[in-house]
Parts: sequence; structure tokens; C-alpha cells
Amino acid sequence: MKAILITFNQAYYDAIISIMDRNAIKGYTFWEDVQGRGSKTGEPHYGTHAWPTKNSAIFVALEDEKVEGFLDLLHKLDIQTEAQGLRAFVWSIEQLI
Amino acid sequence: MSLYSTAVKKPISTALIFVAVVVFGLFSLTRLSIDLLPKIDMNMIMVMTAYPGTSAADIEMNVSKPLENTLNSVSNLKNITSQSRENISIITLEFEYGSDTDVATNDVRDKLEMVRSYLPDDAESPVIFKFGTDDIPIIMLSVTAEESTNALYKILDDKVSNPLARINGVGAVSISGTPIRELQVYCDPYKLEAYGQTIEGISAIVAQENRNTPGGVIDIGSNTYSLRVQGEFTDVDQLLDLVVGSRDNKTVYLRDIAYVQDDVEERAQETYNNGTRGGMIIIQKQSGANSVEIANKVYEKLPEIQASLPSDVKLGIIMDSSENIVNTINSLVETVVVTFIIVMLVVLAFLRRWRATFIIVLTIPISLVASFAYLMASGNTLNIVSMSSLSIAIGMVVDDAIVVLENITKHIERGSTPKQAAIHATNEVALAVMASTLTILAVFLPFTMITSGIAGIMFRQLGWIVAIVITISLVSALTLTPMLCSQMLRLDTKKGKLYAILFTPAEKGLNWLDTAYSRLVNWAVRHRKTVIAGATLIFLGSLMLIPTIKTEFFPTQDNARIGVNIELPIGTRQDITRELAERIDKEFRDKYPEIKISNYSEGQASTDNTFAQLSNSGTHIIDFNISLYSTGVRKQASGSDRGLTEICELMRKDLEAYTEIKRFEVLAGGGNMMGGEASVDIEIYGFDFSETDAIANEVAGRLKNDETISQVTISREDYIPEYQVDFDREKLAVNGLNVTTASMYMRNRINGSIASLYREDGDEYNIRVRYAPQFRQSLEDIENIIIYNNAGQGIRIRELGQVVEHMTPPTIERKNRERVITVSAIAAEGTALSDVVKIVNEEMRNMQVPPEIAWQLAGTYQDQQETFGDLGLLMLLIVLLVFIVMAAQFESLVDPFVIMFSIPFAFTGVLLGLSITQTPLGVMAMIGVIMLIGIVVKNGIVLIDYTILCRERGMSIITACVAAGKSRLRPVLMTSLSTVLGMLPLAMGTGEGAEMWRAMGMTVAWGLSISTLITLVIVPVVYCVFAANGVKRRRKKIEKRISGAMNYNAI
Repeated sequence: MKAILITFNQAYYDAIISIMDRNAIKGYTFWEDVQGRGSKTGEPHYGTHAWPTKNSAIFVALEDEKVEGFLDLLHKLDIQTEAQGLRAFVWSIEQLI
Repeated sequence: MSLYSTAVKKPISTALIFVAVVVFGLFSLTRLSIDLLPKIDMNMIMVMTAYPGTSAADIEMNVSKPLENTLNSVSNLKNITSQSRENISIITLEFEYGSDTDVATNDVRDKLEMVRSYLPDDAESPVIFKFGTDDIPIIMLSVTAEESTNALYKILDDKVSNPLARINGVGAVSISGTPIRELQVYCDPYKLEAYGQTIEGISAIVAQENRNTPGGVIDIGSNTYSLRVQGEFTDVDQLLDLVVGSRDNKTVYLRDIAYVQDDVEERAQETYNNGTRGGMIIIQKQSGANSVEIANKVYEKLPEIQASLPSDVKLGIIMDSSENIVNTINSLVETVVVTFIIVMLVVLAFLRRWRATFIIVLTIPISLVASFAYLMASGNTLNIVSMSSLSIAIGMVVDDAIVVLENITKHIERGSTPKQAAIHATNEVALAVMASTLTILAVFLPFTMITSGIAGIMFRQLGWIVAIVITISLVSALTLTPMLCSQMLRLDTKKGKLYAILFTPAEKGLNWLDTAYSRLVNWAVRHRKTVIAGATLIFLGSLMLIPTIKTEFFPTQDNARIGVNIELPIGTRQDITRELAERIDKEFRDKYPEIKISNYSEGQASTDNTFAQLSNSGTHIIDFNISLYSTGVRKQASGSDRGLTEICELMRKDLEAYTEIKRFEVLAGGGNMMGGEASVDIEIYGFDFSETDAIANEVAGRLKNDETISQVTISREDYIPEYQVDFDREKLAVNGLNVTTASMYMRNRINGSIASLYREDGDEYNIRVRYAPQFRQSLEDIENIIIYNNAGQGIRIRELGQVVEHMTPPTIERKNRERVITVSAIAAEGTALSDVVKIVNEEMRNMQVPPEIAWQLAGTYQDQQETFGDLGLLMLLIVLLVFIVMAAQFESLVDPFVIMFSIPFAFTGVLLGLSITQTPLGVMAMIGVIMLIGIVVKNGIVLIDYTILCRERGMSIITACVAAGKSRLRPVLMTSLSTVLGMLPLAMGTGEGAEMWRAMGMTVAWGLSISTLITLVIVPVVYCVFAANGVKRRRKKIEKRISGAMNYNAI
């Protein structure tokens, strides 16, 4: 099992959910409002006057073999409109109940 | 969930809500009545008291003065003026604006009740008049008749007046200029004396004989009958057979001492229409009724009425206010449509997208239509003010939608789906949009609080409508616009051929402008001192233009109506007046083909005719009521296209050539209360007639010589020669008489006593007993009048006193309980009010005015001063409000201050515009200036808001200014251009009633253009200065704290 944390511009929400549905990824946890900024090119997403956009985050736990395909799709989405900002982080899950 | 995300997620509900708003608005539109002006509840109440047969001086002493003294204590009273003229006293109470006239009317009624017993017995009960715009006649019909002249009143009353009054919405229908039937019992004084009869005795007998009396009920057998005496005359000839007494055992009949004429009133006003004798029917509407609808119904009814009239009686139309209304409203509708198209083109040029343009332009009809619902709910009408307000609002309603749509487009270009983009982009700008709308509201809502006079009435509605339209446009920009964007906008990089042809030049031009402007700002922020010095010079330079600017109140409007009032020497016989009136009428109609109908009346109006009583009448007075062809069709109809003021000036020249005319007045606009020619009134207060007259005449003489003044009139008329009977009280007492009895005897013989009423066909006519005309033609006739005392002895007036000739002023005018004489000067064409004021002040200063005589300037000038004062205060209030709104938005005191720097340059633009176009500064221009305050700071807000954003994003001050300028140039130019070009149709309008709004449109267009150009440079520069100071201050503070900490460490 792998854990994937996707942080993205709120505008991506619909797209990501539809990718997950297509790929039969059922379970996830969603935070609507999160803030942050990219390390290199990413603009801040603070929801303030100066940086009015906001991020959301989705946490997904996935079987190992599905991870690659899912990340690929996310990457494609990101490349289409790079200015929006989308990142995914993957790490292993050691145990779950 | 926020408003806009709900709207985007529920497109059907959102769309349908707005459809409902539009449907409701359109429904209201069908119910709205059309009128020229909003309902003006005039703050005036008139109290008219008739006292027939009395001279002006007596009226002043016995009626006006007691009434004034009592009425003076009514609350909220501003001015009390009175006119005491022959037969009638007219008191005008002017209340403070905003006071409730209904309450005031009740107060006045109570006071009148109190004072009733102090008035002379013969004075009729005081009548209260409230005069509002609803009382202005909507239609005046002319009636011409050949054979039926004498019976005209009855014919018109039965066949015209009554059917017309039955039309729904028609208030009063009055007939004037037609003589009213009266039965005259003309007595021979010699025969009266011979048979020992008196006028009083005959009157009493006529009254007693002409009576129906119910006698009760009587039971006869099984029935009950009522018993009656039908004594009323059924035929005029029955009067002659009345037994009035007996002499030497022989019965004396009325026919022995008098003859009866079934005739018309002796003295009557005569009316002519286009040279033919006839009458005038005046139709007034009920309060709140639709003038245009009524006019149409009247027109429908007229053929039917005409058919029922005798063949020689012809009806025509003198004046129809609905025509003016329809033309004015049509020209305004045209203005609104043109403005709409212009704004649409501006948006299209900047956005270069059909769909985006459609979304933005859709806001216009929705917001405008919604205002109809307000108009209906508040009981208003579609009128000049409401329509013009719509035209003003068009350029501003798109601003919010533009800002929202622009941001959504940017998000879509960055890759959001339209739906997401719509929500987030709206979220980003919602606050800024709301704030800029609030500044506009901060400007227009205070308008609703103006209460002074006509300006108050006009701008209250303007304020409400713009405020409502702007609020609706804000709601629509935050809901409908994002919803439509989410449904209609696509990221579309392909561009069609048509697009290339149409928009490539615009695109190139805008790109070039962006670069040029960012270079300019870059230069400006690095040369701050030069720029600020230059701007200060421009502002100060524009202040130098102030002396060249003239002021006025309202511009003169060409409503195609002229009122002419001509007076011949007092006491001129009616025949002579009539003949002169015919000559003048003919000359006017020959010389001015623009005249559609010329209607005039001359002669003394009867005291029963209240409408005629409102104006002056007499045998020496001619009143013209001239309608020209309306401005739109004047050229085709008459082949000549002279303006109203020009024609008036020419008429004044024509009338000057008649040496027999004592005094004349030509009033453009027919004496309308608004939009007439500018006039300055000099009020001269003083009790002594001769002193005040001398001063009035001198001023008038001096002013007449001035070329910039086209007409000077003195309110006090000529002295009437009158005969007074001076009774010797001692002689009266010796003969057992008193002044009251003696004077009543005289009055009954000359004026006649109304003995009774003759009833026929449901109408009543006066039976008047008096001396036959041939026995009241000389002073001897008066001296020979016999007065009987209680002992039955007859004494002639010559034995009781003397008949002497006196001169008294015919109308005594008083203001605030002091006698006043008013000299009014009307400005010549092209001369502004301020010029006339200057001249008048100079002339008055050059004159020797005795200390007991006071004078002051009134008239349009006073109105102007009061309104300007109010508007000045309003301007300060609005500046403060706008500052508060901005300070709240930016949470800063410095930034709004920086933005406020665009306001002085709006004044620069206005001054430049006024001075170049030679337009005088009037109320409309002032309103334009006030509106500018809100509109110009909007540009500043957009600019500074983005600059602050850039700085928060980490840019340096100067880079932030340049970047913000480059990015915000287009929205600023777009909103400004849509407002400026949206004002152009108003500023250049030529339709009926357009004169009014020209100055305002012009002011806003000039002020906003100049201010936008200068704001774009000066605001970034001033911002740099203040921001740099702020940074320095903060640095110093930090340094201080650091050094403080170091000192602390050192210890």
C-alpha cells in the first residue's frame, strides 16, 4: 500500500475526482482549504488579497500497482496548465486497520 | 457557500430569478404612467378671498392684513406673500421644503376658521388652493362660435365639460372666456323714487316670491298627501308681473319701475383663438393620473362631442401637454438606446469577444428594467428625470461586470475550467467590486437627501434610480455574470477571419498603448518632483479660468410655449383693448410662422372663475397664450427654425413699437416654473408707495439701458383712478344713518344685489337687481342715489358726503407682512444669470436708497444661491463618505488620500469644458461635478488596489507601480470610456427637453476624460511618494528599537 498526498489549486478538484472515479479509486480524504507555496516556481496560494487562490489536499491510500498510472494521469493534468499548481507525494504505508 | 458559487452551481435558478426580475420590471413598465416631471408637491398654499366690489387698499386693510397676521403663526412657514387687488386678496404661503403640505393645509384651515369672524361680512369665505404639477392644465381646448355666443357657456357646460369630466382620470374641466347667463333687473331710479321703492325692497320681494315651500303632510280620507307651494319662477317674464307695492291704492308692478333682461354678465373676459372669438376649456387631471392616456381618451371623445354641438360651435386644441411629454420621452428613449449601443461598442472593442460582450451588455437591460419596478412601487412616473437617470446609469452598470468577467477570462486562460474559474475569479474581485460600487452609492444616496426646491425633487429621483440600478448591477455582476461565464466562455485560441479583420488594429493599438503607458509611468515615478510640479501647475492654471465662467440656475428649455402679458393704461375701455389685441395677434401670426396657436383673452374675469382669478385680469389687460410648433417638427411645419428665446426677444422688440402699451411681459416657457429664462428679482421693501415706486422706476430705467438685459418689469401696476365717497359722519348721524348702511345702499345700486337664483333645466342663474346702465354713468348719478333711513326719509348721497377722485395702486403686494415692489430683469439670449446679478448689484450700489427702504435680490438668483449652497455642502459630505468607504476597504488612511488626488483634476476638466464650450455653471453642471467625485475615484481604486497587490506580492514600490499601471490600464480606460461616451448622447442631445441635461453630460464627459488622463500619471507618482515615506518611517522605527535594545544591553 502507498499513501499519496495531492496538493493542488482548488480549480483542479473536479478533474482529480473524475480521474479517480475513472480508475476506480474509491477511498480518499479531502481537505478543502489548505495554504502553501511551491519550492521553485509555484505561486503562493494564501487566499489573501495579494494571493487570492487557495489549495485543497486529497489523501489517497492505494495498492502499489495502481500508483504509477494514477501519478501519470495527475502529471498530465499538471502539464496542461502548469500555472495552476499540482503536486503529489507518495510514501509507504506500514500498517492499516 | 458563497453567493457566486451557488449561482454558478445552480444556473437554472439564477437565470430564472433574473428572468423573473425582468418580467416584473416589464410588467411595471406597462403600468407606469408617463409624465413630464416627477410629482412635485409644491410647498405653496394659496388662500384666496373674494370681496367683490372693493378696491385694493380696502382689501389690503380688511382682508389681507388680518389673514396675514393670523396665518403667520403657521409652523414651517418660510415666506408669506400677499396680493391685494380689486375684488380679491390672494395670500401665498411658502413653506420650508420637506414639510408636509397636508399638515400645513390643516393648520391653515384652522387659522382661517379662527379669523373668519374678523373679516368683513360681505367677504366670501377664504378658499385654500394647493398648487402642484398635477394642477397644470394638460389640455386646453379652444371653442369658437358664431351665433351661439351668448348661450355658449351652457352649451359647453352640458355638452363638453360634463362628458369630458366623466373620462377616467380627468380632474377638473373649467370653461373660461364664455359669458355666463344672468337675469338683470334694471331699475329706473326716478320711477323708484316716484313709487317709493328701493333696490333693497325689490330684492327682498324677488327673493320672497321665488321660493318653493313644502307645507307638510295632510291626511285626506284614507290617503296621505304632501302639500307644497311651487312659487319659483318658471319663466323670466313672471318677474315683470311681481307686485312690489302699492301707491295711491294702485298696485305697483315690477314692470312699472324696471325692465328685465335675460342676458349675460355685464363684464366678462373674452377669449380669442387664432383670431376667432370663443371660449377656452381647460382640462386638469386627477392627481397621479396618466396625462398621455387622458389626452388620448379626450381625443377619442372629441368627434362624438363635436357632433352633439350646434353646427357653428367648433372645438380645437390650443395646448396639449401630452404632445410635449411624448416627444420628450421619445427623445430620451432614443438617448438611452444610443447610449446602450455606444457602451456595447466600447466593450466589444476592448474585449474583442462576442460572447463576453453579450454577457456584459446583458447587465444593462436587467438593471434598467429592475428600476421600473422601483418606479411603480414608489408611485412615480416615467418622466424626464427618471429616463435621464437611466441614461446616466448605463455607462456605470457595466463596470462591475467588466471587472468580474476580465478576471474570469484570466483564470480560464491560465487553465481553469470555466466553472471553477467563475467561482474563484469572482471570489477574488468581489470585495473590490463591492467597494467601488459602495463609492458610487456614497455619491448617489446623499442625492436622495437634497430637499431644496426643484433641485431636490429632481435629484431625489436621480439618486434613488442610480443607487438601485447600480445595486442591481452589482448583484448581477456577482451572480449572473459568473454563471453565464461558466456556461458560455471557452478557452478559444482559434480566431476567425472576421475577428482578424475587425480586431487586429484594435489589438495592436491597445498593445502599443500598454507599452507606451508603462514607459510613461516608469519615467514619471522616477521624476516625481517634476511630475508633481507639473500637475500642480495644470491645476492652478485651470483655476485661472474661474473668472471666465458664468453661473446660472437651470438652462432655458424650449418647450414651445410663450406667455405674453400686455397692459394698457388702467381704465382703458374693453373695445379699445380688444381692437389692439386683434392687431397684435395678427402681427404675431404673420411674423412668426412658428406659431401653431395663438390664444388671447382680455377683460375682467368674473369672481366665480377661480382659474382666471389666479392671474391678473381687467379691461386693460391682454393675456396671450402662444404655442409654437415643437422643436422636433418646427422646421418642417413652419419652414423656420428659430428658438424660443429668439422669438421671445423679437416679440419684445415688436411690442416696444406699440406706444399705447403701458407695460408688457414676454415669458418664455409660458411662465413655467422651471426652465424659463434666467431672471433676477430686486425686492424693494417699504410702506410708502411713492418712495418705493421712485426707486423701482429708477432701477428699471437704468437696467433697461443695459444691452444684456432683455426685459425689465415692475410688479406694481399703475395707479387706478377711483372715486371714493367720503361720508360726513355727522351728517350721517343726524339722519340716523351709518357708513355701513349708506355704503350698502350705494353698492346695491351700482354693483347690484343678487336677489335670488333663477332655476332652469337644473342650472341656476343669478337674478341681479341694480340701476339700469344708463343711470350709472356719471358722478351725478352716484350723488343722486337716495338712501333711506329708519324713519323712511330719503336722503341723497350728495347731502351726506362728497364723491372725490383718488388714485390707488391696483395691486398691493406684500411679502412677509411688508409692502414690497419687485423689479424683475430677464437676461438677454446668451447672457448668464451671474452677469445680470453683477449689473444689478452695481446699479443698486450707485443709487441713493433711503434708510427706511430695504432691498434684496430674489427670484432665480435666490433659488440658485440656496441650491448652490446645498450642493456645496452635499459635495463635502460626499467627499467624506467616499473617503470613509475607501479607507474601510484599504484599511488605511494614506491610500484613499492618494486616490483623492484625482478629484482636483476632475475640476480642472470641468473648468476647461465649461470655459471652452462657454456653458454657464448651473445646477445640472454642479450635479455633474458631484457625480464625478464618485466616478473618478473609481479609477484610482482600481489602480491603487492592484499596486498594493503587487507590493504584497513582493515587488518594489516603483516596479509595483509600473506593473499595476500596465495591467490596469485597460480596465480603467474601458470603464472610463464607457462612462464618457455614455454621457455623450446626453451632452449633445437635441431633442425636446435636452437642454436640461446637456450641461451635466458635458461636465461629466470633460471632467472624467481629463481626470482619467492625469490620474493615470499622478496617482502612481503620489503613491510612490507616500509609500517611500512610509517605508522610511518604518525603517527609522526599527532602527530606533534596535538601538534602544542595544542601549539596554549596554546597561
